[in-house]
Amino acid sequence: MKSLAFRNNLVGYTFISPFVIGFLIFTLIPAAASLYFSFTDYDLLSSPSWIGLENYTSMFTSDDRYLQSLKVTMLYVFLGVPLRLIFALFVAMILNTTSKAVGLYRTVYYLPSIIGGSVAVSIMWRNLFGDQGIINVMLNSIGVDSVRWFGDPNAALFMLVTLSVWQFGSSMLIFLAGLKNIPNELYEASGVDGAGFFTKFFRITLPMLTPIILFNLIMQLISAFMTFVPAYIISKGEGGPLDGTLLYSLYLFRQAFVFFDMGYASAMAWVMLIIVGILTAVVFATSKLWVHYESEGGR
Amino acid sequence: MKKQAKKVVLALMASALMLATACGSNAGTNSETGTNAGTNSGGGDKPITLRMAWWGSETRHEYTKKVIDLYKTKNPNVTIEVEYANYDDYWKKIAPQAAANELPDIMQIDTGYYAQYAGKGQLADLTPYFGKEIDVTNISENALNGGKLGDGVFGMNLGVNSLGFHYDPATLAKAGVDSIPENWSWDDYLSIAAKAKENGIYIDSGMRAEVFFGYYLRTVGKKLYNEAGNGLGYEDDQLFVDFFGKLADLVKSGAAPTPDTLAQIKGVEDDMTVKGTQIGVWQWSNQFVALQQAVNRPMKFAPALNPGAKEGLYLKPSMFFSISKNSKAKEEAAKFINFFVNDPEANKLILGERGVPVSSVIKEELKPLLSPEQVQVFDYVAWSEENSSPMDPVDPIGAIEVFASLKSLTEQLNYGQISAEDAAKKFRSEAENVLKKNK
Repeated sequence: MKSLAFRNNLVGYTFISPFVIGFLIFTLIPAAASLYFSFTDYDLLSSPSWIGLENYTSMFTSDDRYLQSLKVTMLYVFLGVPLRLIFALFVAMILNTTSKAVGLYRTVYYLPSIIGGSVAVSIMWRNLFGDQGIINVMLNSIGVDSVRWFGDPNAALFMLVTLSVWQFGSSMLIFLAGLKNIPNELYEASGVDGAGFFTKFFRITLPMLTPIILFNLIMQLISAFMTFVPAYIISKGEGGPLDGTLLYSLYLFRQAFVFFDMGYASAMAWVMLIIVGILTAVVFATSKLWVHYESEGGR
Repeated sequence: MKKQAKKVVLALMASALMLATACGSNAGTNSETGTNAGTNSGGGDKPITLRMAWWGSETRHEYTKKVIDLYKTKNPNVTIEVEYANYDDYWKKIAPQAAANELPDIMQIDTGYYAQYAGKGQLADLTPYFGKEIDVTNISENALNGGKLGDGVFGMNLGVNSLGFHYDPATLAKAGVDSIPENWSWDDYLSIAAKAKENGIYIDSGMRAEVFFGYYLRTVGKKLYNEAGNGLGYEDDQLFVDFFGKLADLVKSGAAPTPDTLAQIKGVEDDMTVKGTQIGVWQWSNQFVALQQAVNRPMKFAPALNPGAKEGLYLKPSMFFSISKNSKAKEEAAKFINFFVNDPEANKLILGERGVPVSSVIKEELKPLLSPEQVQVFDYVAWSEENSSPMDPVDPIGAIEVFASLKSLTEQLNYGQISAEDAAKKFRSEAENVLKKNK
């Protein structure tokens, strides 16, 4: 009997083994190793030496550039994520209308997200915002002076934020699915009662969408913290000007593979994990106050 | 953790990280495998495959591949797989390979990274091959010692360079200046800059901080790093203030472009020297030819600034070819390096692009083949040989991080966000912080 049970289970184990093996090799073991390295001075080329918490303490006490990268990343996340969600919802609502070409529109609007994170788009973005780029040409045509997007540290970060907003596709799709799930009767009924567009939006659409918003918020928050490629390409790998685009992951990368300080980089990675963890927990905790689940009597 | 297991873990960590950034770090990287010449057994030797990596521009990639092809026709049993990239991507690719003990057999190494790789035992000592696989009869002791670290030489010097100002006399004339005085001084330089500014022309695009600050310190008898490589080699922060203060003043006065103007330059077509709105560029002699070709007008060399130019100037190895410590075919790799450095046919393809050749015979052989601008480079380096002092020891471990800090501080200085005095202090603390690890 035992062997039969085992044989039954074996099938299950076999089916999940690709995931389990992959998880062990590519996630768990490297994560454990990086935790170990984060307590060492390790330069990739010779063996690590244990230094205790020094990496963690020097991060906050003697590394101005680290604090700068933290600041830039926070700005990027707290500006970029809300804007991106608002924009995604906006586009989703447009695409939720009944038009014959709606399939085409959806494809077209989703395209940026497929190619969005890629190098090509970052390079295109660099050209768009260049001195004679189309953004400056448009600004000039309405009488505004050109902005030195790559020269001005604040403008450079803003440029990264707009790039992130533009890659709204995946959250937009999820919003779209959420919008489709809102029963049309609610709108019809409120219409009968004389509700206008804004009332419908704030009293029906938004509350009904809150679970979706929560999901998107958390996913986008996490992915925004990990943003790397655009900053790398646009600042030519250095996070300039004046460390204005020195996103956390870019600085981590520089510590690891340019300065060969793998121990420090590992410590940075763990601090980021903690920060993201805390933020996610906070979002979950506050979600009781604003997320509306229909199935649980409104809560 | 057992050593083998650690290696595996590391390789995985590195590959996971590289995977996450794959697009970013591999842009502009190419990988090619040459035709397998081992099949047409020429000498009857057993087939050997070498991996070789370098960074550079398109021109360098093209002629290096031709040199490799030439080597293959003479050594049909050897196959050389090539990996090349631009400078930044190259180092990001090499580092994880080093961690995984997968470095190429032959790799190009920059002086800035040299101590990092050689000092940590990643590179093979070449001295056993000198006089055997690598013929050094025509190479001066001095040139060979450019790659000396401790008791070993871990890189073959591929050519020498010298610092200078590469300028366009036509633009200089537009700026209202007839010529640059022979042994020009800081005062001459600043007055030319002022005149240029009056005529709406930039003097230069700035001096690369780590290179020229090092030069400036040498002119006053100091060094950027101390002997042991665990601290700075100068005590008086006023030297920093004097040097960078002058340069920042040029930016402030409009005689040199601001950093945000420089940030807009995407390629050679935007270069202000090419467009004729900037007199010249401070750079290494091997960069002259490419700039001259882009400018496409006659250009000239001016030496570095006085006083103390003779003490300040030095001949620097442009780059090294090193053999990885883990290479299984070190002798074969050494043979190729020898071919690269000593073979006349090969050097007719290289034409001094990696710096003026270290072999005196090759230097003579090349002379009739050189273009006029290449002759200028050779002449300037020959002049520098007479008018320079021995090079400092190779940059210590951590030099790259020190450079990054210096670069960022001078950027802040040129944006007017920090005073020269504060930048000097900050640089000292940041640099000492990095270098103290070498104690």
